[in-house]
Amino acid sequence: MTTLWPRLEPLLPRVSKPARYIGCEDGMQRPDAGPHLTSWLLAYPDTYEIGLPNQGLQILYELLNERPDASAERTYAPWIDLEAEMRAVGLPLFSVDTHRAAGDFDIIAFNLSAELVYTNVLNCIDLAGLQVRSAQRGDADPLIGAGGHCAYNPEPLADFVDFFVIGDGEEVVSEITEAVGAWKRTGKRPGTRATILRDLAGIEGVYVPAMYDVAYDGPALAAVTPKHSDVPALVAKRTVADLAEWPYPRRQLVPVTEVVHDRLSVEVFRGCTRGCRFCQAGMITRPVRERPAAQVREMVTAGLERSGYDEVSLMSLSTADYSGIAELVRDTVTAGGAGGNDTAGGADANRISVSLPSMRVDAFTVDVAAQVSRARRTGLTFAPEAGSWRLRQIINKLITEEDLYGAVRSAYSQGWHRMKLYFLTGLPSEMDPDTEAIAHLADACTRIGQEYTKRASVTVSLGGFVPKPHTPFQWFGQNPPEELARKVRLVRSALGRNRRVQLKWHDPAASTAEGIASRGDRRVGAVIEYVWRKGGTFQEWSERFDLGLWEEAMAACGLSLDWYVHRHRDEHEVLPWDHIGAGLHRDFLWHDWQDALAGHGLPDCRWTPCYDCGACTEYGIEHMVASPVAPNGGSQGTGQDLATGHLVPVELRPRQLAGAGAPSGGGA
Amino acid sequence: MSLRLRVRFSKIGKIRFIGHRDVARVIERAVRKVGLPVSYSQGFSPRMKLSFGLALPTGYESEAEFVELPLVTDAVLDAGPVIVCRSGAHAPCEHEPAAAPPSYCTIAGALSEALPAGMEVSAATLTEGRGTSLQAAVHSCGWQFEIVDLDATSAAKAVADFLAAGTVVTERVHKGETVSSNVRPSVEVLQVVGCSDRGAVLSAELSATPRVVRPGELVPALAPAHEMGIARRTHQWTSGAAGRAEPAVPAMCAQRHKETISG
Repeated sequence: MTTLWPRLEPLLPRVSKPARYIGCEDGMQRPDAGPHLTSWLLAYPDTYEIGLPNQGLQILYELLNERPDASAERTYAPWIDLEAEMRAVGLPLFSVDTHRAAGDFDIIAFNLSAELVYTNVLNCIDLAGLQVRSAQRGDADPLIGAGGHCAYNPEPLADFVDFFVIGDGEEVVSEITEAVGAWKRTGKRPGTRATILRDLAGIEGVYVPAMYDVAYDGPALAAVTPKHSDVPALVAKRTVADLAEWPYPRRQLVPVTEVVHDRLSVEVFRGCTRGCRFCQAGMITRPVRERPAAQVREMVTAGLERSGYDEVSLMSLSTADYSGIAELVRDTVTAGGAGGNDTAGGADANRISVSLPSMRVDAFTVDVAAQVSRARRTGLTFAPEAGSWRLRQIINKLITEEDLYGAVRSAYSQGWHRMKLYFLTGLPSEMDPDTEAIAHLADACTRIGQEYTKRASVTVSLGGFVPKPHTPFQWFGQNPPEELARKVRLVRSALGRNRRVQLKWHDPAASTAEGIASRGDRRVGAVIEYVWRKGGTFQEWSERFDLGLWEEAMAACGLSLDWYVHRHRDEHEVLPWDHIGAGLHRDFLWHDWQDALAGHGLPDCRWTPCYDCGACTEYGIEHMVASPVAPNGGSQGTGQDLATGHLVPVELRPRQLAGAGAPSGGGA
Repeated sequence: MSLRLRVRFSKIGKIRFIGHRDVARVIERAVRKVGLPVSYSQGFSPRMKLSFGLALPTGYESEAEFVELPLVTDAVLDAGPVIVCRSGAHAPCEHEPAAAPPSYCTIAGALSEALPAGMEVSAATLTEGRGTSLQAAVHSCGWQFEIVDLDATSAAKAVADFLAAGTVVTERVHKGETVSSNVRPSVEVLQVVGCSDRGAVLSAELSATPRVVRPGELVPALAPAHEMGIARRTHQWTSGAAGRAEPAVPAMCAQRHKETISG
């Protein structure tokens, strides 16, 4: 094993944030390398400070290093200043753990959390000293893998990545390790790369693009079919049934430099069945699997003691839905050994701050707010997603205005001065009054705040909606950037001179590029390669993003932006991800799309009868929740609070079984 | 009466690339891991009250960094005095000279254990009363630094020329602007002490007044065609009762070493 550190060290004084490249985290491992070990390089294709906190990568890092036959190290995309220095002296991509060359590993596995990092994936493969196209790599070269939410539409990266993992990675990485280990022991003989790829294609949840033929019918996709009989026609996702069996990470990495989520993170549940129709995460990670409360408490206590952190994030897609959330927050605040009584003049310094990402407004009660505010207050973000009740029915985010105002009141009354409200624009059927209603909601929130503090303010953050695969909105034509920009202006002018509301928005042009990769097929790979070859790396970063480059690339590849991004799809169109199984019946998604357009809601199946989306029934698994009823304050699907909410009553019809046809009034 | 634990620590190897704010965060976490009874600021957003010596430029090594941790007074028992941590009570070390301030080698060891590799606590002593801040008290720093690919003879000549000059103007980038200034008044001592495999090794004592000059600013004047290698701070000097003194000197006791502390 040779370390590149002596060659890297002299470059670091010349670059920004050199601590990105030194490793040295508490929890870092320095595994051996050897012929008996299958070595993984886990790669996050964005900067260290974005990538380090990623829980998926950290879980696999620990699991693999616990195996006697595997080792795992990490790498992150070097920023452009270091990349230039590395290329100037011929220094390849390296791991941050032992600073070994990326090309020395058996597998380089990328975490795909967002589409705009795709050009960075190519750049990392290239920096590793490898050919970016799978077909041009040799037998002895590392295998390139990828997983994460974006892997649910693997086609845009199909020409560059050797294998994709669909779904939860905890179990499948072991199976991959064994297959690659067996191949390694035979010496990776010439001509055997195709054999290992075919072996990998036989592992449940693993997709090997080279094993499939893609046929087109003009601009349309005709079919993606396996080349061999032992290769599955549908690659179904992997799902870990019981989170209690996977109490990871046990030794969360504690970085020595600032990262985006610099706190202890404990995953309290995986999956979400709220059924928000725009949300890919909620669709592909079903069913809901709660971690037992006792295990959560154990992980919090042990994690705090080991790390020295004074802040915990209780992570999930909708943490307020966790059974017994108020008690959990209360116990977490004092998990650092602080007293339970409030002292005069401020918070007890030993109290642990609790951060609750993805907080539903209908569950942020005064009780929860009071518990959180006993320690240092963390930032609060609420996500009504749409300004009007009409539109929230379309997207199935069934929170009423009163729900929102209740949450906002809870927060201001417990000492918060500001909060962030997150909205999407460009949603299906959105009309100008829906968009303008965002300003109305924000204004009403600041009025509530003024009852408690003169400093009350809210930040409104607007994101442009990008339809995602495996969601009911996968058939929807994305708004063009001009339309998204117009909607931003609409909100801005509706806000008038309200200085208590700060408006922020995501660049509509970036949403357009994201749209290309989000629902692209295999032909989009050439576009990604074009953008990368023209220097278009770090496209997630506004100072580096360039829509012109993407438009130029689409034109050069003979592809139409309108066709890929802005066009509505019809029911029978073959979608590029149809051969990837997220567990959801296609007709469930289609009917939900039709229901959306009709303004029909869908209840949360955690607490109401199953409507058979496919996620449980296809896999023989079930929700694992501790409480048979929704937490206090939750309105959706439970009938609670509805009468006090809004003038428009929620319509919560029992759904017909999938396949029974679109309900009346459900036309597009 | 205010009691402060004065901690001397090093920053050597890969860890030299973390910035000053990173160091503060790393130390805060180490203090919480050890369970030291450090006092916090009041109010709704309490923060640990840490005060450092002179900031160390990112990328520089040091064997003489200092931080003072104000202690919660009732956690220090008069008999001894003993410092009560969450993990247990720590008495002053018997192996250290009696004349010196009370030294807590077991606390130094526990802090070293809680810090990243390359950061080691060499002393933890108890200070009473409200003295001047360390940052204001330090009047000069001792340094050792390399000039890459420069031989000892050329280095000696460059040093002699430098010391003979009345003014030495060098440029540096300050807040995005190039500023030129005379660094000569800040250089109290400058000499060649040997060679490393990278080049000449110099030592210097640089005054903190009229402004803090760092070794990197001297290299363009000494050897314009050469880069500086690793620079290491060896001392931070304050005025003591009998001439100059360091805020804390490394304890000789073995208990402070990482490898001797279990768990």
